This record gives sequence, structure tokens and C-alpha cells, in this order.
Amino acid sequence: MKTARIMLFLVAVGALSLMVPAATNADSVKIGMHAPQTGFAAADGNSAILGAQLAVEQANASGGVNGRQIELIVYDDQATPKESVPAATKLASSDRVDAAISGSYSGATRAAADVFQSYKIPYISAYAVHPGITRTGDYVFRSSFVGEVQGRAGAKLIGERLGVKKVSVLTLKNDFGKSLVAGFTEAAPLFGVDIISEYEYSIKDRQFGPVIAKIKDDNPEAIYATGYFFTAGPFVSQLRAAGVDALVIGQEGYDSQKFIEIAGKAANGVIITTSLDRDSDNAETVDFIRRFEAKAGYKVDMVAASGHTAVKALVEAMRKAGSTERDAVRRMLHEVSIEASTGTIAFNTLGEVKKDAQVQIVRDGEWRHHSVISDSVLLAPPDQ
Amino acid sequence: MLFLDLFVEGLVQGSIYALIAIGLTLVYGLLRILHVAHAGMFTLGGYLSVWATNASGSFVLSLLAAALAAGVAGILVYRLCYRPILHRPPHVALIASIGLYVGMEELFRLFFGPYGMSHTDPPLSETVGFFSMRLKYAEIAIMAGAVALISALAVVVNKTRLGMAWRATVAEPQMALSCGINNDRIRDLIFFIGSALAALAGAMVALVNNYAEPTMGAVPAYKALAIIVLAGLGDVGGTLLAALALGVIESFGTIYLGKALDRDAIAFAFMIVVLMLRPRGIFGKG
Repeated sequence: MKTARIMLFLVAVGALSLMVPAATNADSVKIGMHAPQTGFAAADGNSAILGAQLAVEQANASGGVNGRQIELIVYDDQATPKESVPAATKLASSDRVDAAISGSYSGATRAAADVFQSYKIPYISAYAVHPGITRTGDYVFRSSFVGEVQGRAGAKLIGERLGVKKVSVLTLKNDFGKSLVAGFTEAAPLFGVDIISEYEYSIKDRQFGPVIAKIKDDNPEAIYATGYFFTAGPFVSQLRAAGVDALVIGQEGYDSQKFIEIAGKAANGVIITTSLDRDSDNAETVDFIRRFEAKAGYKVDMVAASGHTAVKALVEAMRKAGSTERDAVRRMLHEVSIEASTGTIAFNTLGEVKKDAQVQIVRDGEWRHHSVISDSVLLAPPDQ
Repeated sequence: MLFLDLFVEGLVQGSIYALIAIGLTLVYGLLRILHVAHAGMFTLGGYLSVWATNASGSFVLSLLAAALAAGVAGILVYRLCYRPILHRPPHVALIASIGLYVGMEELFRLFFGPYGMSHTDPPLSETVGFFSMRLKYAEIAIMAGAVALISALAVVVNKTRLGMAWRATVAEPQMALSCGINNDRIRDLIFFIGSALAALAGAMVALVNNYAEPTMGAVPAYKALAIIVLAGLGDVGGTLLAALALGVIESFGTIYLGKALDRDAIAFAFMIVVLMLRPRGIFGKG
């Protein structure tokens, strides 16, 4: 009995030791990263890390930064602020990273942004959407959409592109869902979209029976449903099983092959706004998708492309600045324009990017190009 | 008919809760342990059934395999985790149980990967219409299965020698032992049955959502605790009724109270109201 417990303990210690990063090299350029490796968001964290690692490998193969190799130091934040703050503090004070990225969700990223700002370390949020993140300070950047901006793109997609007016809204009760719906609701009247009903759900929900029964009763033409692949997959599958055939419009949280695996045939016809165009003929995007799928062994997703983009932006700024001095990198980030897998990235005064929204649709079990929304007024990120 | 739709959706959800809560209430009745790690058996059942269905093509066989494997895992949990600390105060077992559950979540992640698993070709996914409703065969199977299994269990507990032995072990373990009842064997059996039922619930949830994930037991872990308290601890029939009632209340509450109260908060608000009126639970005696 005692031996069994000792064995179990040793196995646990062994498993933990795998997570401790290898000894760091004093000469290297250090980029810190926090992302969920355990907990409910571990799948997204895993993709973001693989994307970031790929960017580091590519940068090192082409000479690193001024001849110095780049090292990525990753800590688990479980997608919660209570883990991201110690992770960020450790990266800043004990690893003394030159710059950092977030491969995590909004809650964790907002909290960590404060830490990096106070240490004056350039920090890029790869895919967290909350508007408060970049307002933390001048060292904080975001290489993806603000939630509100993507929500506005959704309203334009539904009202103008698809010509659908009667819409039910499903809000995921976290920073992601709420900021998307705020943008959607704000822009809906501009495109004649009438929101006939609104529902909320928690990130733990996987069974949507009651909400679907009510939506069926409301009989909308489209459903603007916020969520991640692990909530949207069950939702769409249950929706179609209940006989509701309204259009489903999602966002970048759906953007994973896993969504299609979960929803099965019900996924076909679902349309989302996102940052990655899988049918792009942009050489950078094509190259990224090929390399990522070879490295990861599964199909590319938006989160992976975002992790890759964030690292690429930092490396580019360090190379252009000719140093890893933090203030120089911060200033250079405002000047560089980078061709990345998620589009052309240039940061505004607040540290936000202005770019087109990609629209993807599921056809025959694959994410495919639907259209692009480019509207520089509607999609303008906040600049103060 | 929105009313009917909501009512039936509530029954489906309640049936799942019932299958999970039964094991918990049996274990509590027997050992006075709040067996939080029970939700790990639910997750184990979900993963094993998806994996085995994809590998073998037979859902029925996979259900049996998942129930059997989780049942054996349940016995191991009792023997390796709880039995050595039975003489300690109850909170020791509770803490061990929570630790075990957290450990199991991470083991699932290490073993099956962070992305969760889905059926490549989900069985029972055809639908059938009743009045205005459409239900998956899987949802009908959940309701029928839960009621049949739990009724059968109630008969076993109340009418058979085995049930008598179980009740004797609950009431007077020492006396039962003197009468030739093997306490350990009864406890093994209870952990086996409870864990197997939780695994079946996990398998059915993984089927309806077409998704098994490491954290899928997190909500059932505490929802089931609310149900067994509601039902009056240790009551099999009462647990079924309380679970169904909670499912239906949540279903209507999600729609009509959703703005004010979270779905999960509804369960606990209901529990608080019931306990204020009936401190020993709806079906608790005394």
C-alpha cells in the first residue's frame, strides 16, 4: 500500500518536472509567454504556444536578433488572473525577459498586463479581446481584434453581406462574449439588424436544451452566438438536432478544426469572423499553415496564427531597433509594419492593430474562405 | 410548445444528474464521505466510451466497457484512497477526495490530450419528433436508462438480501460484521455500482455533446452534492426525484431567471430554499 502511494507520488513529481523550463542561456534574447497549459482553456494555450515556438524557430534559423538566439520561456496561467500574475512576475523579475506575449484569455491577460507595464517590458496580447488590455499602459500591445471591433464586423456580415435582419443573440458570460456582443449590439442598427432576443450562458455550460427551445420559439433568421469551439460545438450540434435551421454566426473562438469535429455535419454552413484565412494566397499565411500543421500534427487554428504573429512582431521590432533595450523596442513597435499569417500588422498609438476581418464558412467539414470585411471606419480600433 | 420543450429538456438534464448523484448518495450513506472524486468517474466514462466507440464501432459494447472499467476504478479509489483514512475525521477524506479529483482531471489531460475527444460517427444521433419537439434518440435513451437503472437499484436496496446487507452495513457496521456480512465486499460493491452509473452518465453526456473533455466533471461534481443534500442524504428514490426536479427547475430558470441568476446558481438557490423549509431534505425523514 505504502509503496503504491510512493509510486504515485513519484509519477506526479515526474509529471511536474516536465513542466519546469530548461536552464536559460545568459546570452540569448528572452521572450516570456504565459498561456493555459492546464484547465479548461489548455487546448487554446497549447496551440498558441506551438505557434509562438514556430515563430521563434523561424527567427533563430534566420539569424535570431543581431546574431543572438531567441529563447521562449513559457509558464502555465490556467487562463486565470490568479495564475497569470505570478507567472508574469516570475517572467519579469526572475527570468528578466526582454519582452513578453500573452497566449491566454482576457481575464488572465488584463491582470498580467499590469505587471509587464510596471516593469516596463514590451508585451503583446496575441488573441485576448478585452478593450482594457491595451489601456493598461504604453508597453502593452495587441496583435488581434478588440472584441467590440469584431462584434461590429459580425453586425455588418449579418445585416449587409447576408441580408438577414431578425437575429437572436447568445452571450458567453465572460470578457470575450460580453465585448463581442457589446460591439455587435452597437453596430446592429447601422445595418438594419433587429435583435429579437438575448440569452446568456456560462463557460461551463455544454447543454443548451432550454435556450434552444426558447430560440426555436423566437424563430430568428440568424443566431449571433458567442463562444469557443468547446461551447459552440455542442451548441450547434444540439441546435440542429432540435430542428432549428437559422444561420449561425460565430467568431474567432469557433476557429478550430475541433469545432467541426464536435458539431459534425451540423457544422456545415456556420459562418465566423476571425483573423485567419485558410484559403489565403498570401505567401506568409500559406507558409505558416504548412509549417504549423507539420509541427503540430493537427489542423491550424486562429490561436496558433495569433501566437505566431505576436512573436513575429516582437522579433521584427527588436531587429529594426537593433537592440533589445525595452524602450527602444516599445517605440519601434509603433513604427514597424509586419507581414504576418493573420495579415499586415501595424500598431496605432494605443497599441491596437487595424486590419480586415476574415470571414470563414464551414463547407464539407472544412473551414473555407467566405469573404473579407474591410471597412476602415467600422473596424477602426480605439486609439486612446 | 415552449412549455413542453423546456419540461422535457429539464427531464433529460435531470436524468443525467440522477445517474451521477446516485453513486454519491450511496457512498455517503455507507461511509459518510463526500466523494467529490466521483465526478472523475463520470469523466472517465465519457472518455472511455468515446474512445472505445471510435475504436470498435459498437456503442453498446463501449458503454458496458466504460461502466465496467469505471466500476473497477471506483473499487480502487475506495481501497487505495479512502480505506486507509476511514478512522480519521470526515474532512480528511473530503480533502483527499478533492485532491484526487483535481489529480484525475490533469491525468485525463496528460493521457487523452488537452483537446478533448469526439465521436467520429456519433451513434443515436438521429432525431424523432413528438408534437413540436425534436429529440435525439440519445436523449430518450438517457431518460429511459436513468429511470430503469435507478428503479432497479431501489428494488435491490429495499427488497433483496444484498440490499439488506447494505442497509445493515450502513446502520451497524460492527454488528453486520458479526453476522457474517463482509463490510469490505459491500463497500466494494457500492463503489462499483455508483462509479459504473456515473460512467454511464458521462458516456451519455459525451454522446449528446459529442465531446469528452478533462474538465467535464467539474459542474456535476458540485451539482450532485446539491442534489443529494436536497434529496436527504442516502435516499436512492429521493435522489432520482430531486435530480429530475432540479433539472426541470434549471430548465425553466435558465430562460425566465437567466438574466438575474446563473444556471448553476439556480440549483443552489433552490437547495437553500428547500433546506430552510425542510432541513433534512425533501425526502429526508424526521
